[in-house]
Amino acid sequence: MIDTQLLISGVLFGLSLGSIFFLMAVGLSLVFGLMRVISLDQLLYYSLGGYVTYSISVTTGNFWLGALGGMAAGAIAGLAAERLVYLRIYERDITFTMITSFGILIGGVGVIKYFWGLVPLPVAVPIDVQINVLGTEIPVYRLIIVGLSGLVYGGIWMFLNRTIVGKAMRAAIENVEHVEGLGINIYRLFAIAFTIAGGLSGLAGGLYAPLIMVDPQMGLDVLAFVFMIVIIGGLGSIKGTLVSSFLVGQVVSLGTLIYAPMAQMAPFAIMLLILLVKPTGLYGSPLLKR
Amino acid sequence: MSVLRWWWGLLLAFAILALGRVFLPLPFANEIVLFSIYAMGCNFLLGRVGFISFGQPAYLAVGAYGTAFYLFYFGSNPYVGILCGIVAGIVISLAVGALFVRLRKDYFALVNLALAVIVYYLMQKVLAGITYGDNGLWFLTSIASTPVLDLSRPDQFFIFAFLVAFAIFAFYKYIDDSIFGACCLATKINEDKLTFLGYSNFSIRLVAFVIANTTTALAGAMYAVYLGFVSPEITSAARTPEPVIVTILGGVGTLYGPIVGSLVYIGMKDLISKFVGNWELIIGFGLVLIMLAGEKGIWGTIEPLLKKAFSCALRRPLPRTLGGRSDD
Repeated sequence: MIDTQLLISGVLFGLSLGSIFFLMAVGLSLVFGLMRVISLDQLLYYSLGGYVTYSISVTTGNFWLGALGGMAAGAIAGLAAERLVYLRIYERDITFTMITSFGILIGGVGVIKYFWGLVPLPVAVPIDVQINVLGTEIPVYRLIIVGLSGLVYGGIWMFLNRTIVGKAMRAAIENVEHVEGLGINIYRLFAIAFTIAGGLSGLAGGLYAPLIMVDPQMGLDVLAFVFMIVIIGGLGSIKGTLVSSFLVGQVVSLGTLIYAPMAQMAPFAIMLLILLVKPTGLYGSPLLKR
Repeated sequence: MSVLRWWWGLLLAFAILALGRVFLPLPFANEIVLFSIYAMGCNFLLGRVGFISFGQPAYLAVGAYGTAFYLFYFGSNPYVGILCGIVAGIVISLAVGALFVRLRKDYFALVNLALAVIVYYLMQKVLAGITYGDNGLWFLTSIASTPVLDLSRPDQFFIFAFLVAFAIFAFYKYIDDSIFGACCLATKINEDKLTFLGYSNFSIRLVAFVIANTTTALAGAMYAVYLGFVSPEITSAARTPEPVIVTILGGVGTLYGPIVGSLVYIGMKDLISKFVGNWELIIGFGLVLIMLAGEKGIWGTIEPLLKKAFSCALRRPLPRTLGGRSDD
């Protein structure tokens, strides 16, 4: 069997990976639930967040400021894309919005290449400290990532359940027309949702940047995993996204310990199995049809 | 007379394409013919069955690797290699199709995209022992010359690709006119009614899926023979939207859309990459602009105009039953 130390660090690695995946996928899931748009451009805000974090942390020397800047950049980019592009094509078929979002993604990667170049750039790890848990050295930074994503989940839950805007948003996920009929401006809700999603993707990119190198293709690298998470969890479900991102994070991390090349494939196998049993994912509702 | 009416559009289109061979450089002409076969599968899925597939490169890779494995390890006859690619395409698309076609449209798009990335990982890392990872398989020298049409020579390969493309397009035109084609359209528009008529949505979708992706695999197999090497790069995530872009550009669901789309897309890519290094930027935002402008595509806009002009010239409207493809 695998020894305990390896197992503990593997589980922690999976948790932090799952946290990053969750931050990315929650935006995708929220945007789908509300607007029925598969927003591939979230992956662009993820790379953008990473790059802005790099630039700010290099110039000011403060990583946390950089991550905040990355989050802001993602949010602004998300809002801009919503106002400039999506606002005009909400009525169209899901196919067309998806292709449009892919256009934004590819074009945005081109912009990133133009400004930052093709070479992968390193971001310094802000906290080098390691703490000892059950005889295993664990980097604190990964624990912070897990904590932050927990906070984000709590924040989103509070937002959706305790504020009037969040409640309107949940109602709109169920039925847009009725919400519109109540006199709520749904396009404002859409803009808010896109801003939140973009900001969270930017934050994910910023937080993950020290653990990998930022490069223009980094969004495309996580693409498959984020999609598998959203499919496993069920499109439009926040809880499902949480469960499936930690599931996929653990599978990738622990799978790497057992047999490395297969670890990338295992989530796909899980996805196929779940779709075989339940074609709408774990928590996806069968009523979500427009 | 009616036979001629059925064929004349196809003959005209391919006559123009053959004429293009005289004026265009050979690699460009080859690329267009291959790409229009590639995009045809996607066009059929998107326009006739209503499935958007972002994972077409996965099936392209299946066909390409099916051919590559044969030519690299076993034999040297390119025709047998292409046949291997087609068989691989049928087997894989039957296996995954049975799972995928049960899904809703949005899940279908995501699952296919995931499949493309998984095939990429599979070819790059998991099977690196056989596929040589990122280096790819090189077998250009081991392709044997064949007697009638020598596929190892690009000019003769063009004739072969041209004939195959003609056959494929005639096949799809035939499908559109058949009951099966009508059923495909019905499963896109109203699946409940189709069930009511006594057809099974599942089996119609499965057959359509297998047909479309076998076409894609055939394109992959021909790419493999034409280029003489295969690497995982053909299924990388950045290339997944290409067939969809071409389909949309040409006009979704139109018969000649893929040809027009490939011509414009490959021409654009060639021209842009000649002047600007950063082609992703222009393709990406160009795509957004095209989507904002409308969803009919180039051929989808031109075709009704041509039809109108033509029927005015003849002073006799064409029967709607045969050419009724302009109205979706």
